[in-house]
Amino acid sequence: MAKLANIGDFEKLMETVKAGRESSARSVTVCCGTGCVASGAHDVIAKFQEELKTRKIDAEISSKATGCHGFCERGPLVVVFPDRIFYQRVSAEDVPEIVDETLVKDKVIERLLYSDPVSDEKITHEPDVQFYKRQQRIIFGSNGMIDPTDMDDYIGLDGYAALAKVLSDHSSDDVLDVIERSGLRGRGGAGFPTSRKWRITGAQEATPKYVICNADEGDPGAFQDRSLCEGNPHSILEGMAIGAYAIGASEAYIYVRAEYPLACKHLEIAINQAEDRGLLGDNILGTNFSLKIHIKKGAGAFVCGEESALIASIEGKPGEPIPRPPYPAEKGLWGRPTNINNVKTWASVPYIINRGADWFAGIGTEKSKGTMIFSLVGKVNNTGLVEVPMGMTLKELVEEIGGGIPGGKKLKAVQTGGPSGGCIPSELMTIPIDYEELAKVGSMMGSGGCVVMDEDTCMVDVARYFLSFTVAESCGKCTPCREGNGRLLDILVRICGGDGKEGDIELLKELAGAITDGSLCALGKTAPNPVLTTIEYFRDEYEAHIKDKCCPAKVCKSLITYSIVADNCTGCLACLKACPAGAVSGEKKQVHVIDQAKCTKCGACYEVCKFEAVSVE
Amino acid sequence: MITFKLNGTEVEVEEGTTILEAAKEHGVEIPTLCYHPAFEPYQVCRVCLVEVIKDGQSKLVPSCGYKVEEGTEVLTHSELVLKRRRTIVELILAEAPNSERVLAIAKDLGIEKSRFESKREKECILCGLCVNACNDIIKVGAIGFAKRGTQREITTPYGEFSDVCSTCGACASLCPTGVIKVEEISDSEIKPILSEFDANLSQRPCIYVPFPQAVPNRPVIDRENCMYFKTGECRICEIVCQPEAIKYDQDEEITEEEVGAVIVATGYDLYPIERMKEYGGGEYTDVIDGLQFERLLSASGPTQGEVRRPSDGRIPKRVAFFACVGSRDPEHHCSYCSKICCMYMVKHALLYKERVPDGEPVIFSIDVRTSGKGYEEFYTRAKEEAGIIYIRGKPSRIIKEGDGYEVWAINTVTGKQIRVRCDMVVLSTAIIPTVGAPELAREMRIPVDEHGFLSEVHPKLRPVESLVRGFFLAGCSQAPKDIPDTVAQASAAASKVLEMFARGEILAEPHIVWVDEDKCATCKVCIDACPYEARELDEEKKAVVVSDALCQGCGCCVAACPTGATRQKNLDDEQLSRMVEAIFEQEKEHSGSD
Repeated sequence: MAKLANIGDFEKLMETVKAGRESSARSVTVCCGTGCVASGAHDVIAKFQEELKTRKIDAEISSKATGCHGFCERGPLVVVFPDRIFYQRVSAEDVPEIVDETLVKDKVIERLLYSDPVSDEKITHEPDVQFYKRQQRIIFGSNGMIDPTDMDDYIGLDGYAALAKVLSDHSSDDVLDVIERSGLRGRGGAGFPTSRKWRITGAQEATPKYVICNADEGDPGAFQDRSLCEGNPHSILEGMAIGAYAIGASEAYIYVRAEYPLACKHLEIAINQAEDRGLLGDNILGTNFSLKIHIKKGAGAFVCGEESALIASIEGKPGEPIPRPPYPAEKGLWGRPTNINNVKTWASVPYIINRGADWFAGIGTEKSKGTMIFSLVGKVNNTGLVEVPMGMTLKELVEEIGGGIPGGKKLKAVQTGGPSGGCIPSELMTIPIDYEELAKVGSMMGSGGCVVMDEDTCMVDVARYFLSFTVAESCGKCTPCREGNGRLLDILVRICGGDGKEGDIELLKELAGAITDGSLCALGKTAPNPVLTTIEYFRDEYEAHIKDKCCPAKVCKSLITYSIVADNCTGCLACLKACPAGAVSGEKKQVHVIDQAKCTKCGACYEVCKFEAVSVE
Repeated sequence: MITFKLNGTEVEVEEGTTILEAAKEHGVEIPTLCYHPAFEPYQVCRVCLVEVIKDGQSKLVPSCGYKVEEGTEVLTHSELVLKRRRTIVELILAEAPNSERVLAIAKDLGIEKSRFESKREKECILCGLCVNACNDIIKVGAIGFAKRGTQREITTPYGEFSDVCSTCGACASLCPTGVIKVEEISDSEIKPILSEFDANLSQRPCIYVPFPQAVPNRPVIDRENCMYFKTGECRICEIVCQPEAIKYDQDEEITEEEVGAVIVATGYDLYPIERMKEYGGGEYTDVIDGLQFERLLSASGPTQGEVRRPSDGRIPKRVAFFACVGSRDPEHHCSYCSKICCMYMVKHALLYKERVPDGEPVIFSIDVRTSGKGYEEFYTRAKEEAGIIYIRGKPSRIIKEGDGYEVWAINTVTGKQIRVRCDMVVLSTAIIPTVGAPELAREMRIPVDEHGFLSEVHPKLRPVESLVRGFFLAGCSQAPKDIPDTVAQASAAASKVLEMFARGEILAEPHIVWVDEDKCATCKVCIDACPYEARELDEEKKAVVVSDALCQGCGCCVAACPTGATRQKNLDDEQLSRMVEAIFEQEKEHSGSD
């Protein structure tokens, strides 16, 4: 691949690439994000290539492995272009049929179509799927269209045009102005204005300066950053290059967890491609601007997502946060001014440059601009990655994109912001997605986790669960986080175990206060959020656990008992066979009995009983 | 300068000052645990949290690391601060319920006991002082943090003995809970630095005031053990010393003074206890010498005056005192009597009895010498009134028995072999010349006796003068003696000096030498031969000249002079031959008369 000597060369290349791709020829894309790969997407794409080759139509109809489309729950996903016919849960066996029917004869295969869970209607085209319909896919939009290992795919969709534009006629101040006007805020969680961060770093006298991409996504259930790194790595590199140009940095790091092998691989390929093309490295597009991007693989500690711990980790030190100030902008990597932004922040930058600050600022609310990617998980029909404009209400997110709660259950709460976010009760579902609004109700944007909980969820158990994660991931450096969160967890375990005491709620609140006010880093400071919000909104559940020794959601094992409802029991032996503890006894066609001494409260009997003869109290 | 409000009062501090420093400057105490002035603030214990109000917004920050900002308001003891601080201190107290440091902070906050129960095996509060000292100050890195979260701990790599630990003990000395033990970090032999003043019964740091009444009363650095002098690292005393008084380049200075007289009072040492193998000297920790026992009795000593065994700190219920250990033993040790032991043993036994009323002092002695005013009465009182047991006989062995000792001896009064169990033994070891004193005497040309004590001119008539003119003797430099004798001899020596000075001139010996300048060949053989440095070459005169004041008239130069230029006054060849002649004449007269 020849190095592009100047901006003119790049523009010519872009024209050529676009010309080659403008044809409305038929093509098929297979989502090869980690979720779909796990469901067999690699076999599907291989089968497509094989089938197209045997039929000798591989020249006319191209097949492509793309990044994550977001609708992981329905994977492997196949989209047939140009009509965007959307097939879901496709297996390799379905491929010959798709080739013969859809690709050759232009016929839609009904059984592979997605069926709307609410209306039961079959949806043919991808944009009509309810899951995608209400989304505004900007930074995520190209994922389904490009092969992340093919740089031309990215260039064909205006990739690197923003960088070329910046290098041709933008001063660093111009870039900063655009970003400032766009209102972009950090997508890592705290929502610090991106332009202000860049300006502070840029204004420092010390050199060299560094730029870091924080791809240490550690929230359980969150995978937006991974999907972007896997699916559209060049957009991140381009964003970083524009940021580095504005800040005056010539060296950059991407800190990505080693458990994301595909993300690491795609980023590595992308960096090599960009360097070969002269879009990274020395004298980018013949200008004076140079940028070397390194990949640093993290060992998977959640706390390394905290910027000072991340920097320490790059430096080869234990991943522990250090007190701020001084902030990384003043004293960061190797003691030099350093700007850290999240993957999604960097990936937003090229779009803002290309489409303008006003366009971006036009999306969202007064203070929160642009879109946000959530990983919508939990008790919701459509799970996956969704990109929505800021300002959308949680209700819209859960009901319209998520397709509501399965099994006709009632929504109880939504937890946003990862393990340190808060639980927002169903009464507050009308609040818009906005940094300030979420903070007001005790939660946060975080890196975009969104866990939906239904009426069967015990909120005390939820608090216990999230806290057990932060306690396990705490570095243990400062007292409030190490000792305090540990004690919080002890108390919650006690309450869930039926040993709650009068005064526990007050003690939880007192400890949470000391942890929030006293911890060294954001991990500690925010860890009590799930506890505080559940106490705030679901205090009655805590009281039921403590005073009445009962778990209203019937989740906490120590507080529930399974028993047979004699009137309903048909003596079918199903529960007897399912019980792993051998606690159920009884003869065929006779009422069974559960031996409470042996029962481990696993709920297997409850699950298998078809006659509602197992009750849980 | 920065102006801010500290607890409601406007104050000014220099830019870059932390809140903790600023508060201290203005007399406000903020409790700290992980803070140490020598380290970069680690900011992890969070005990020093204070409230900072900036632009109307309040937040809690660790005062040790947070720098004062212009126009802010700082509240060090607001309701919120105290509430949070109490919770945090309670969390710490749960893991260190016995730490005096933590208990004191808790008490100030009104906490008697933590509501939480301890979860950790060790009383470690993970303040990091030890790790930071080892890594940042000593720069060895023998210990560090391992694991994370509630599992976090301080350990060596892989939990094995560290091979880089220099056993300097910085970690242990900084630990607020006393949980860090050097012997758990390194398996190298740990040599504690023992306090010379406490006769090795206590430890001292590398920077220390040698003894309470030292003049000047200033700390000194023990260069042999100081980490800075050993490795070039540490310098913690320099960082901590606010008046910046630590100067590592300060060296010993040699100053030369011209004096007319010298009183040599080099004192004494004790015969090494290690030589007394039969008594387990140096091997049994509770077999000590008299000087060590003296320190145990002292209110400023290692046990604040309580008599406790060095081995386990237990109060000994029976203490054996041995007299004449190494003294009066010409076959094995010293032939002379050390003179002071008999009396100080009486004192030791009496004081022991006073401190430990149910204790039993037993003194083993060959005989008791009480030659001094009131000494015999003192001895009698001890024996008869205080009930101190005297056994006549010199013990042959000490055997370690369980956690005590058994003394084997023959009671020479009854002739019976006896075995006495005791908890501790004090050996009155012989007085010997101070180590180095004989060498010093050689420098001064003062002769020493067979034991190394400095010789006087005449044991009866001139007991305070040395053979070298202008050098006088006092105290145990000359022979073992007690305090009254020493004071008397020292006073006498001083009087001798005064007498010499008062006269204004020195009486020379009648046969000092002179040089016949005409004959002197300036070969300088005589200068080398003169033991008193009384001769030097006069370049102008082209001849050797003699100092009349220094010359002792020994005649070495006369014998050495190859030209016969050096001659002794009143003793030249002619005078000698006249004397010889006279003698012969007398002989003749005698034989003639026979």
